[in-house]
Amino acid sequence: MQTIYNSKVKETLYVEKLENGLTIMIIPKKGIQKKYIIWGTHYGSNDNKFIVPGEENVTEVPKGVAHFLEHKLFEQPNGTNSLDTLTAIGVSANAYTTNDHTAYLYECTDNFYEALDEFMDYVQHPYFTDKNVEKEKGIIGQEIQMYDDYPEWKVYLNTLEAMYHTNPVKLDITGTIETIKGIDKEILYKCYNTFYNPSNMCMVISGDFIPENLIEEIKKRLIEKSQTGEIKRIYETEEEGIVKSKVEQKMNVSKPLYTIGIKCIPLTKREQVKTSLGIEIILRILLGESSSLYKELYHDGNIFEVPELSFEFGEDYAHILITGSANNPDELYSKVKNKINEFKEKGLNIEDLERTKKLIYGNMIKQYNDVTDIARTFLSDFMKDINSFDYLEEIETIDINYTNELIKNVFKEDKMVLSVVK
Amino acid sequence: MEHKKQELKNGITIHNISTNKFKTNLIAIFLTIPLTREYVTYNAVLSAVLRRGSKNMPTQEEISKTLEEMYGATFDAGINKTGDNHILKFYLESVNDEFLPNDSTDMLKNSIEKITEIVFNPYLEDGNFKELYVDQEKENIKQKIKGKVDNKALYARTRCIEEMYKGKPAGLYRYGYIEDLEKINNKNLYEYYKKIIQECKIDIFISGNTDEKKVMELISQNENIKNLNPRNATYNVNDIEIKEEIKENSIEEKMDVVQGKIVIGCDILFTEEDLKDDNLRCEAMLYNSLLGGSATSKLFQNVREKESLAYTAASNYVRYKSNIFINAGIEITNFEKAIKIIRKQIEDMKNGDFTEEQIENEKKRNNISNKFNRR
Repeated sequence: MQTIYNSKVKETLYVEKLENGLTIMIIPKKGIQKKYIIWGTHYGSNDNKFIVPGEENVTEVPKGVAHFLEHKLFEQPNGTNSLDTLTAIGVSANAYTTNDHTAYLYECTDNFYEALDEFMDYVQHPYFTDKNVEKEKGIIGQEIQMYDDYPEWKVYLNTLEAMYHTNPVKLDITGTIETIKGIDKEILYKCYNTFYNPSNMCMVISGDFIPENLIEEIKKRLIEKSQTGEIKRIYETEEEGIVKSKVEQKMNVSKPLYTIGIKCIPLTKREQVKTSLGIEIILRILLGESSSLYKELYHDGNIFEVPELSFEFGEDYAHILITGSANNPDELYSKVKNKINEFKEKGLNIEDLERTKKLIYGNMIKQYNDVTDIARTFLSDFMKDINSFDYLEEIETIDINYTNELIKNVFKEDKMVLSVVK
Repeated sequence: MEHKKQELKNGITIHNISTNKFKTNLIAIFLTIPLTREYVTYNAVLSAVLRRGSKNMPTQEEISKTLEEMYGATFDAGINKTGDNHILKFYLESVNDEFLPNDSTDMLKNSIEKITEIVFNPYLEDGNFKELYVDQEKENIKQKIKGKVDNKALYARTRCIEEMYKGKPAGLYRYGYIEDLEKINNKNLYEYYKKIIQECKIDIFISGNTDEKKVMELISQNENIKNLNPRNATYNVNDIEIKEEIKENSIEEKMDVVQGKIVIGCDILFTEEDLKDDNLRCEAMLYNSLLGGSATSKLFQNVREKESLAYTAASNYVRYKSNIFINAGIEITNFEKAIKIIRKQIEDMKNGDFTEEQIENEKKRNNISNKFNRR
């Protein structure tokens, strides 16, 4: 077992890779009552085209299978639902699907091992029938419709559609009512057997545990499965340019919602931590709470909340998103562009940079308050081949030259889109 | 974890929660004010104006820069309705010195100074709040009141509460009313502020890796706190309510949405006799758990799982006002069917259609076993 201690946040990560390929990561938190476990497969809504290990032909499945599978995995042959069983044991269980992974989890204070029995049992034993697959289409259909009414969701999806030509990141994780019609039990089993192999999975646990004991308990509950070969995922080559620079939709909202998207070139594994930190710093200085632009827009009465600033990236995509509500999104957009140009010409102010680095450092430390944040962060970073501790170390290496170069390379005007819902 | 309560002055209580489990210290200041139709909107604007600037940090930009410099200390202000009171809540959370480079200053002391300054020492111009701040925040609150309809699930719930508590404090909207905004200006809002700061119940919470002695020392030396007078705090004591039986009432509003929202507000009819039983609150909590508090509950199982009628189907219990709110998101054409199934669940609860085991599980899940057994 590998142990990694971080002296800044004063926490230790224990990593064990089992013979069957499963990675287990444990971050013990002494004296904390809450326990959190999350088990993820490197399989998300973007993985619709792939070659099953040992096969030659490409398999293509309808959009929304990963999410559908997540819903269905809870169902057991005896008619019970594992979510209910876990709730009945007294733990709080859930699951979610993202672009690049699907995760199952629960948190509790008591009965951890009793729940672990059920948890590891259901994730390892799928049960799909024609009937239960059909029934699920009704429930997911309702979920899709619920999201259809969320203007926040629409403004986001429209941005992605304006940026991407073919990359599946632009599609709704749930699929659409049309695509999920094409899902049947054979497809579900095929995807399950391909992606739910231990060598494609990672388990992260945080709480008051002794790592060696916990790993033994996990091993006891693993069924025997041999490692399969590499899954070849096929992603269409995405054009560098955007699809269209502006998209507008009418909906019943009291104030227009906007998202500014900036399409970036996908990051290499080596640079991803530093680049994402650098972009976060620039975004904060551009439009964060203490920025002059935010102050100006606030005083104009154009916006009254700090925009949400994010940088999303995966193996084959990367983009910046600036989201919020504004009375006049067009004016905001042109001011953002002007400010970016100003940064490109004059560079950032060094005081702003140093202060923002402190802010981000503090925010990262705060994440270690809660076992939920810890486990979820380590899992989603793992899916990108990142050790979460690296962020705490890399931030020190960022200086003004680095950020000034980054602005020029990443914040390109011809890669920007504006999406508005009003 | 240790919670120690100490009355600093009459009406002002310090709560010290000492724990080494976290990387941060949290300081919270709660101002409790009785809810009235006349002043509900004042409170909403006031909470927003205070965060705009303090004596030594006159602009929001300066507040933000100060907080960022403090390794991203987070300040937040919010306003809540709890029973018949309005509570203005202010929070400041900052990283404990232990996890910061050695050159950092005393973060706890610094944090207490900053939050007390924002709440008790606001930025003034010519002896009043800054007019611009008040005008802008009035506009923002106006947007918030208008935005009430944006989240349909919340809107349905707000409307339900308004109807159930028509003309009563609990029925007031927590951000107030657009027509009342016009009456508020920088002068009368400051007058109002001075009045409530002298009269309201104040609670200060400090939680983190701190020792009580140090905390009390920091608090008692703090200039902003020194300036506060002792008071006989005026606020509504939130006892569990006794209600008369009232008739069913149904309100329907049409909107252009794909999914319809149902909210059913139920009164729990406690009697004078019931209130003598200490377990009452837990019983209501358990009832709610079984009805709609979890994924094994009747509502979730029957409305969502068996009938595929809804993506959400749940209920929650509001202690102070003795209410249970049932909510579901449904396809509009299924309205009648959903109502019928929901009624059936209430009926089944009445008939005792649940097991000892389910009760035990819900106790565990709610972590209320200890409280429940204490007689």
